[in-house]
Amino acid sequence: QLDHGCALHTAARDGLSSVSTQDVPAERPRAVFHTSESDPAKHTEQHEGRLYNIPLEEVKAVFPHGLPYRFQQQIRTFNEARVMVRRPALELLAYLKGSNLAHPAVRYVIYGERGTGKTMTLCHVVHYCSRQGWLVLHIPDAHLWVKNCKELLQSSYNRDRLDQPLQASGWLRNFKTSNERFLQEIKTQKKYTWGKRESTEEGRPLGEVVEQGLARVRSASDAVGVVLREIKQQSHRGSFRLLVAVDGVNALWGQTTLRKEDKSPVSPEELTLVHNLRKMVRNDWSGGAIVTTLSQTGSLFKPSSAYTPHELLGKEGFDALDPFVPIPVANYSPREFESCYGYYLERKWLQHEKAHTEDGKAELQFLSGSNPRQLDRLAGPL
Amino acid sequence: RVMPVRWSRYNPSYLEPEVKKESYQKPLEELTDEEREQMELKAVRPIKAAPPTLSSSVFSDPMISKFTNMMMKSGNKVLARNLMSQTLETIKRKQLEKYHKAPENEKETIECNPYVIFHQALKNCQPIIGLSNITKGGKTYQVPVPLTDNRKRFLAMKWLITECRENKHRRTMMPEKLSQELLLAFNNEGPVIKKKHVLHKMAEANRAYAHFRWW
Repeated sequence: QLDHGCALHTAARDGLSSVSTQDVPAERPRAVFHTSESDPAKHTEQHEGRLYNIPLEEVKAVFPHGLPYRFQQQIRTFNEARVMVRRPALELLAYLKGSNLAHPAVRYVIYGERGTGKTMTLCHVVHYCSRQGWLVLHIPDAHLWVKNCKELLQSSYNRDRLDQPLQASGWLRNFKTSNERFLQEIKTQKKYTWGKRESTEEGRPLGEVVEQGLARVRSASDAVGVVLREIKQQSHRGSFRLLVAVDGVNALWGQTTLRKEDKSPVSPEELTLVHNLRKMVRNDWSGGAIVTTLSQTGSLFKPSSAYTPHELLGKEGFDALDPFVPIPVANYSPREFESCYGYYLERKWLQHEKAHTEDGKAELQFLSGSNPRQLDRLAGPL
Repeated sequence: RVMPVRWSRYNPSYLEPEVKKESYQKPLEELTDEEREQMELKAVRPIKAAPPTLSSSVFSDPMISKFTNMMMKSGNKVLARNLMSQTLETIKRKQLEKYHKAPENEKETIECNPYVIFHQALKNCQPIIGLSNITKGGKTYQVPVPLTDNRKRFLAMKWLITECRENKHRRTMMPEKLSQELLLAFNNEGPVIKKKHVLHKMAEANRAYAHFRWW
């Protein structure tokens, strides 16, 4: 598991001109836009615009799901995972460091235009929290739960609701890989019956509930509900700190594209997973924080120019999330653009001869408008 | 939708548009006499509309645009261009993965630039000599005939695209198929190179009829 609290080397803290070195003497010093500080807890404004490395084993342990697809492809091609330290992430980390865990959980909503780096900011925060030893409840994309579901079962717990076994079991599997340690420590506080012959007694570790959900896929959504309930009730005790990280939270209050067997549309409340997640995002528990991201790209029935919380969440969602801290994410600043461009050059990602010239760089900056996603898509074929 | 503005038949007095940035950045004194005359002519004569494929970007390549146009179906240039950029990216990724896994001494031999690979693959696929049907005395003979540069380039691109469209598994995506074919052609292997060799052999076999050609 992750060894939080291990003694990490400190980066050479300096201004723009000097070079930060790796602690492995065999490697030559990396350039200015890299930093060897791979612990997010130690990132400050001096590291802004620089890229830090996450070791590949940690990536597999902390992010079994949740990283954008293009970033996963980039990890495979370059054989390393480099994340840029940006101002919104530093702001969020400062708030989390100074948060009082006795108070009810504070909600943070990361919003911004398309392709500016909201999911990557969320992943940065998730990495920090898992390094600090928090229990991380990371839902990679809430939109996946409200569209394209092949199987919808009527829930056995509540007649009106609908279960999604495939999505629930997939999420449980990934949750198990990322939080093994906590599943042994947290004990259930109530007896749960899964069917005629299966039940989980009081005081059993949560790992058993997860195994039950994975083995009996029909009751996977109920298992998810039980896990969320137990974690929420026990978080105020202080034995662990909880981070609820939801990407695409506007899916919970929008519309779905799913239909029941009689072709009537399904609203999000009628899905067990969404219902339980809504209870999780309410700030009636203490001992942690809720960090969410708005996303227009996966959203249903929302115009593509919408990016503000009010437009994407709608009235219902905005009222439900109401006292939240908004964190806007913008396009790259000139310094961040230089850093990203330098990284692509160093990793030999920009192969075109003209891409190394000043003209090519100016053209890339103009065409992408300093938008991280556009820069990535433009630099692909070059 | 882009409405065509450029006509196909212009009055001969119309001049071609000049797209390169460098020609406009030269100060007046450095221009030679012909260039000064050209500038004065441009002030009086009308200029043709620039075609949509002409771009002043440093990254534009005429061969790549030709290939994209040949891949295009029913005017869907957006799709063709996306497929082309995905192909170049796939080639780059495959080569970079090989590069990072290779030992130090082999690293220089691996070519990672997708444009270099594309141009070299096309050059390897171009036939040197072609066959043409000539009818003499009621019978049609396949006569070996020299090809122009344009025809060679066209045949190479056509063979690559037809090979990808027809002889592959139905469910593979075009960028994947194309990148595979281009990498094979770069190493002088693969079905397109075979087709070129078959054509050369046929031309060699029909050497006797070469004198039927009258041009």
